[in-house]
Amino acid sequence: MGFGTYLRNIKDAALTIADGMAVTFSHLVRRPYTVQYPDRLPDGVRVQDTLPFRYRGILEVDLEICTACLACERACPIDCIVIDAEKDKAAGGLVMTRFDIDLAKCMYCGLCSEPCPTGAIHHTPEFEGADYSLESMVRRFVKAPVVAYKPKKGGETDPEIAPILERGMRYVEEFASPDAPAGK
Amino acid sequence: MQELVDGLIRSGLAPAALPAWVHYLVAMLVFGGIVVFVFILPIAGITTWVERRVAGRIQSRIGPNRTGPAGFLQWLADGIKSLLKEDIVPVAADAPLFKLAPYVVMTGFVGAFVAIPFGGPLIIADLNVGILYVTAVTALVVVGILMAGWSSNNKWSLLGGIRSAAQIVSYEIPAGLSIFPIVMLSGALSMQSIIQAQGWEPWRWNLFHNPFVFVAFFIFFVAALAEGNRTPFDLPEAESELVMGFATEYSGMRNLLFFMAEWGNLYVIGAIVTTLFLGGWQIPWALPDHPVVRTVLQFACFFLKSYFWVFVAIWLRWTLPRIRVDQMMIMCWKYLVPIAFVNLLGTAVWMVAFPAGLPAAQMALFLLGVALLGVFAWRVTYHLRRAGLTRAELSFNPLSTARIPW
Amino acid sequence: MGLAGFEVEVQRPQADGGLSTEDMTLSMGPQHPSTHGVLRFVVRADGEVMKEAIPDIGYLHRSIEKIAEKVGWHGFMPYTDRVDYVAAMPCNQGWAMAAERLAAIEVPKRGEYCRVIATEFNRIQSHLLSVGSMAMDIGAYTPFTHALREREYINDLIEELCGARLTFNYMRIGGVAWDVPPAWREKALAYVQRFEPLIDEFNDLISYNRIYTERLANVAVVTAEDAIDYNLVGPNLRGSGVRYDVRRDEPYSVYPELDFEIPVGRGEMGRVGDCFDRYIVRIREMKECCKILRQCLQQLPPGPVITKVARNFKPPPGDCYVRVESARGDMGWYVVSDGTAFPYRCKIRTGSFAAISIVQKVSRNLMIADLIAVIASLDLVAPEIDR
Repeated sequence: MGFGTYLRNIKDAALTIADGMAVTFSHLVRRPYTVQYPDRLPDGVRVQDTLPFRYRGILEVDLEICTACLACERACPIDCIVIDAEKDKAAGGLVMTRFDIDLAKCMYCGLCSEPCPTGAIHHTPEFEGADYSLESMVRRFVKAPVVAYKPKKGGETDPEIAPILERGMRYVEEFASPDAPAGK
Repeated sequence: MQELVDGLIRSGLAPAALPAWVHYLVAMLVFGGIVVFVFILPIAGITTWVERRVAGRIQSRIGPNRTGPAGFLQWLADGIKSLLKEDIVPVAADAPLFKLAPYVVMTGFVGAFVAIPFGGPLIIADLNVGILYVTAVTALVVVGILMAGWSSNNKWSLLGGIRSAAQIVSYEIPAGLSIFPIVMLSGALSMQSIIQAQGWEPWRWNLFHNPFVFVAFFIFFVAALAEGNRTPFDLPEAESELVMGFATEYSGMRNLLFFMAEWGNLYVIGAIVTTLFLGGWQIPWALPDHPVVRTVLQFACFFLKSYFWVFVAIWLRWTLPRIRVDQMMIMCWKYLVPIAFVNLLGTAVWMVAFPAGLPAAQMALFLLGVALLGVFAWRVTYHLRRAGLTRAELSFNPLSTARIPW
Repeated sequence: MGLAGFEVEVQRPQADGGLSTEDMTLSMGPQHPSTHGVLRFVVRADGEVMKEAIPDIGYLHRSIEKIAEKVGWHGFMPYTDRVDYVAAMPCNQGWAMAAERLAAIEVPKRGEYCRVIATEFNRIQSHLLSVGSMAMDIGAYTPFTHALREREYINDLIEELCGARLTFNYMRIGGVAWDVPPAWREKALAYVQRFEPLIDEFNDLISYNRIYTERLANVAVVTAEDAIDYNLVGPNLRGSGVRYDVRRDEPYSVYPELDFEIPVGRGEMGRVGDCFDRYIVRIREMKECCKILRQCLQQLPPGPVITKVARNFKPPPGDCYVRVESARGDMGWYVVSDGTAFPYRCKIRTGSFAAISIVQKVSRNLMIADLIAVIASLDLVAPEIDR
């Protein structure tokens, strides 16, 4: 190793180390990026409210607008949705007796919410689902047998169901469709 | 300290019937205990707090901030937690050596505090071989680390222990060689004499005395970092390779003793650097003559100076990657040792050429040091400007935990 | 896992009183801070210097290829995320392209652009994680957190785009599932603008640091011939000087319309093909990704992003082999269809699987510390190796 290389090694080492130290020192005067969840958030802020609308959190079913078409059950690749629906002439349509989603199996892929015609099954921004027992991870949405919803021609008029349907349709319309208007 | 004990005997506060050496022994034990438990262990603990906070801010995150104000009691909580942990001694480990190793390491580092001059009269024992004693005692940790690595009955620990032994023993040489110029300049090995040979003005510190000592300072600091097992020389406890190196099998308080020794050693390094190169506890003459006030100010001056070097060591740890074993050896023997020899000879020549020193050179070196710091500050602002930060992203409060608003 | 067949050299004491030595057999992993994922290496070492490092894989095998045969064409898309969860978009794209090629479906232009944007953002994410963990393995803990901080910004962007931060499930057979949300383009452009100087800052901090380059230069040199023989792809191959990139040599999607360079290892700090070259190729690729992203975000054409594909998708019988440029290199998807709604066979060829085979060859006479550098520079991720 020549003397020139020797000196150059020393100079190299000193300069790059000093430059690295300058970068690190400059970070000492920058604000940290930590979000101190869950106990030191700014007043009134819930992390769930800051998540984007498309966030794929824990699943939820609005039974008021569920048409029992079973599209979500068929689409789920991991078989975590179980629906029992039978035709009941007396009640006037399909009656659902069971709508279970096993959250322990769910992989939050979103394939179930895509084919839903009304947006009844959708992802929520909830992500805090930890619990102590495995059984509690199965969300049973049907408490008593419920008649499936039939979408009305000309829009929904019932003031209780209309907002739910509107939110559901807004969720479903986020998905891309082949007939999207050109020039978005 | 001897005068203090004699004073106590004379004034009747201590029973005069007992022979003098009993008094001295008791006084040494008491003072030693006070120093260890009131000063050394808290220093080691608080350095962990400083390290974790500084590391957090360097890494764009917050350090501990829940236990106590700004996380200040985190080290206490960790200490108490470690005391309460199960003490696991591996079945196949060599139990006596395994249990003894942390204490040997602690001895090595605590023993150095005897000769560290915190202020004019604040030194437990102003040995006339002060700096030699400190260097020798801090080398005792090698034995402890080798014991730990071997007795763990774990190949990875063994690797860590052997690497550490090679490293510490090798880096004693450049460290020692860098101390010799100072000893030559001061004419004595005693710590207080070395400090008293310097002045309080920065340009009268040993650091700026002549260019060779200036370089010797950097050599010494690097070698001291290597002896303290700090990154970039932390191969013995290289986390990503050996999990925790020689301390892998240790749990609970024994583990913590190793790390307290490491952080406490940082302070010892800072103290030695301050003593040898930075003028120690020297404060301006203009300050009040009251002995207690003087002593307190001297202590504060020394503490701030030595703690600054602890901060630099922490800063280096979180900036630099790790050196490989053979590169570390090459650096020691091919770079540090020859340059340290050159420094030694250069200082000797300088002392022959300018027996009373050359004030112009001292002032010039001091201004060079200031200029280097200025260039560094410019480079820091260059990085800040290039990162394109907004006002919201800058924060000058080291204890700030405010986040960037979403 | 028996060690039969791995002979340990034992030198017995010689007659003239020489020392007897034995090789150490160490097991690195499967739980280890530096093997990226669950990997195990059986290391035969003479002290610090290794004789051999034999990889032992299979700890993360999840039968993903077999699962494809059960869940069907549409249902397999989330599983492709898990093939390589660090860079999931190219895996999505590979599967989608294979199904489209079998059924002769054409993806609309805007859909292709969305795919490229998502893939390039994912490439930056993956490279950030790779260089960050490499720096951490070499001992510098700070660049890792800086890289992850930048990655968080991209995570946020993609979360707005598709709802997830790691396992995206963004693409569908026929296009992508979600169009770009309003105001997302400006945010993405602003981010790319902000990110490029930070690559330079990263370089100043660690890439050209003398200690770092000394650790990586001339370590585990893989010559171009060896790289091709051992089937290395992606930054590993380009680090050895071979200018091969699927986006340039077998272009797909809209890459032919985009203008970008292919960075190759030039042996700046040591010989061509050492660890430093592979590392610096990744850093430079991040800059090229920024270039591609700017072009795509500015040229995004209007229109639909997905074509109509039946829910009960049944491509005609046949097979096809599709190549995509994942962050880890050329990822090959061999898909066989038998005309039903479930694929007959799906075989995934990943870059890490080939890369791990070269570890045994290059690890001779390296130190254990260098083994860490080699594993990190080859950017091995266990999920890709084991699937």
